[in-house]
Amino acid sequence: MADGQAERLRAIEGQKTLLGRTMHAIAYDEIHDEIYVTQQFGQGILVFRGGATGEEPPVRVLNGSKTQLIAPDRLAVDPVHDEIYVPEGVKILVYPRTANGDVAPVRVITGPDTGIGATRAVTVDPQRNLIIAATQVWGSDEENRARGSELRIFERTANGNAKPLRVITGLRGMGNLAVHSPSGLIFSMQTRYVGVWNIDDNGNVPPRFTIGGPNGILRQGRGLALDPKNHAVIASDKELNAVLTFQVPEIFGSGTAAAGNRR
Amino acid sequence: MNMRRTALAIATALLSLSGVADDGWLPAVDPRSTVGRLSAFESLAACAMPADTQRQMLAASRRQAAAARGGAIAPVRDIRDAYPSFAAVAVDTVRNEVVLTDENLFQVLVYDRTENTPPGAEASKPKRVISGEDTNIEFQSGVYVDQQTGEIFAANNDTRDTLVVFKHGSAGNVKPIRQVETPHGTFGVVVDEVHGELFMTEQHDSALVVYRKDATQEESPIRFMQGLKTGLQDPHGIALDPKEDVLFVANYGSTHAVALTDKPKTGVNQADNREGKDNWPLGREFAVPGSGTINPPSITVYRRTARGDAAPLRKIQGPDTGLNWPTGLAFDPQARELFVANDAAHEVLVFDAAANGNAKPKRRLKGAGTKLANPTGVAVDIKNRELWVSNFGGHSATVYDISASGNVAPKRIIRNAPENTPSLMIGNPGAVGYDAKREEILVPN
Repeated sequence: MADGQAERLRAIEGQKTLLGRTMHAIAYDEIHDEIYVTQQFGQGILVFRGGATGEEPPVRVLNGSKTQLIAPDRLAVDPVHDEIYVPEGVKILVYPRTANGDVAPVRVITGPDTGIGATRAVTVDPQRNLIIAATQVWGSDEENRARGSELRIFERTANGNAKPLRVITGLRGMGNLAVHSPSGLIFSMQTRYVGVWNIDDNGNVPPRFTIGGPNGILRQGRGLALDPKNHAVIASDKELNAVLTFQVPEIFGSGTAAAGNRR
Repeated sequence: MNMRRTALAIATALLSLSGVADDGWLPAVDPRSTVGRLSAFESLAACAMPADTQRQMLAASRRQAAAARGGAIAPVRDIRDAYPSFAAVAVDTVRNEVVLTDENLFQVLVYDRTENTPPGAEASKPKRVISGEDTNIEFQSGVYVDQQTGEIFAANNDTRDTLVVFKHGSAGNVKPIRQVETPHGTFGVVVDEVHGELFMTEQHDSALVVYRKDATQEESPIRFMQGLKTGLQDPHGIALDPKEDVLFVANYGSTHAVALTDKPKTGVNQADNREGKDNWPLGREFAVPGSGTINPPSITVYRRTARGDAAPLRKIQGPDTGLNWPTGLAFDPQARELFVANDAAHEVLVFDAAANGNAKPKRRLKGAGTKLANPTGVAVDIKNRELWVSNFGGHSATVYDISASGNVAPKRIIRNAPENTPSLMIGNPGAVGYDAKREEILVPN
């Protein structure tokens, strides 16, 4: 297991990869063995072989006028239902997983009833058929700080001006999200910690667990990934320039009981 | 006693002493966090130990420190480069110093120009280090030194949206003597001393902003360039040819259209620092959906006075150019040559000043002997006829004769870490993924 001054195993880099230096999302699809990355400046989604290395071109590129992409920052992949979800401002754009070229979204979740003023992160629970989005009411920074941010939970197939099923309020950040379907736990990167909520939570519910803070090692948490097999939560921190692995068997083991009221 | 237990014991002892022997050099102490950074004392002690012991000791110290803070769950593993990552380089030929920015530990380091790390030595010790919260330094991707005053100008790439200027001799956690608000995502910086103008590239919105050289605080740029005709496409390095009065800009190739609409899009990140400013590039709230393109890399050339959506005078682009993530640029006005830090090809390309189109480089500095590793910065020392390269992937700055070509060993090397220390190149990791099949962590930078 990599630790400390660990040497990288491989790198995907160079002009033919179509990558830039600014990447705020990466997702791995274990079923299809593919890596998904956003290309923010070029308004695209790049898909690589899982084993890609060196200056290897993507196997698919989602890019073009039909996509409606503005500044794709983060994304989520549902390898079961073959879809890609991209949060973009007041919208969540949904594409076929295998989309290649100039492809329009198959669904767009947006409108006043969605309550999405801004969304920065999204994840999907293919087992419960749910989308979870980190959202905020749009306004000045001061207003947003006072109001906080939320986790809005929609049907996976929601489309248009859909109402969320539930809203978990009182969060402090719209950081990256991950969901662990077997336990029904949502992991949300808050600035100085990873907060863990149950997928059936609703309203102003405090996190059931916090990882790495708020008075811990995390300074400006950004990336978030789960390694359920090893009961691990992996987080990146842009102030520390570090990738941290937290081993939390007590959390992964707690979800089933806590989930209780499943759909 | 096994090695792991020994390492843990040493880590505990060091932690209790951290800060006592803090002389402010490599790597810097971060005043914001006793957990997040190694103290100078830790670093010095760690340098004298075998690499495995260092790793175990540092990981253990971090875990213990984290656990001691409020009982928060501490990481079991912490992948982090303990040493600087040199990003940009500039030479002060008047004072015989070289200035390097470090995007890993958030520092600006100043070395003697003739510094040469002896083989077997742990690392070179800088003459001065500027670092700490008051400095407003984080991801400083571009650097310029005023040869007359020795002032250091450093552009921030992502997190602070501010250009900082330090007077010569600055060290430690000092405030800049000037700082000016910038758009989000500036990268390269160059100054035209004749006309007193300061130029910065801006990646996120594919723009170029021009300020008065002495601009400060909330002062607006005096002009800017943005638009699809400009050919600015995720621009990085910038260089000036004072004789022809032209600017060179290195472009990675991706861009999108922006349009000044009546109602900017809500919910997307908006252009920072824009309020009340003139000559400010349009940000993502004005991006045209689906207009993005990912193009081949290029070097575009403009009149110094170009503004708005002006087309370049010429463009170096095509397969024969060899451009591959062209990052830092430098210009030699005597030989009339343009130097390109060609990041992904681990090389430096040299073009004639008048190169155009699918031009082949005049020469390439490339090969294992050069010790080039993901070079992101270049600087020319006209007085001593030397070329400087900052190796983001190599824990080093390397120096060559300015006419060097091929697989040539550096004349001198400044190492900031023990030889063969892996360079993690984790810079501003905005995301992380996990490949469950290969049990690998994926980190975009």
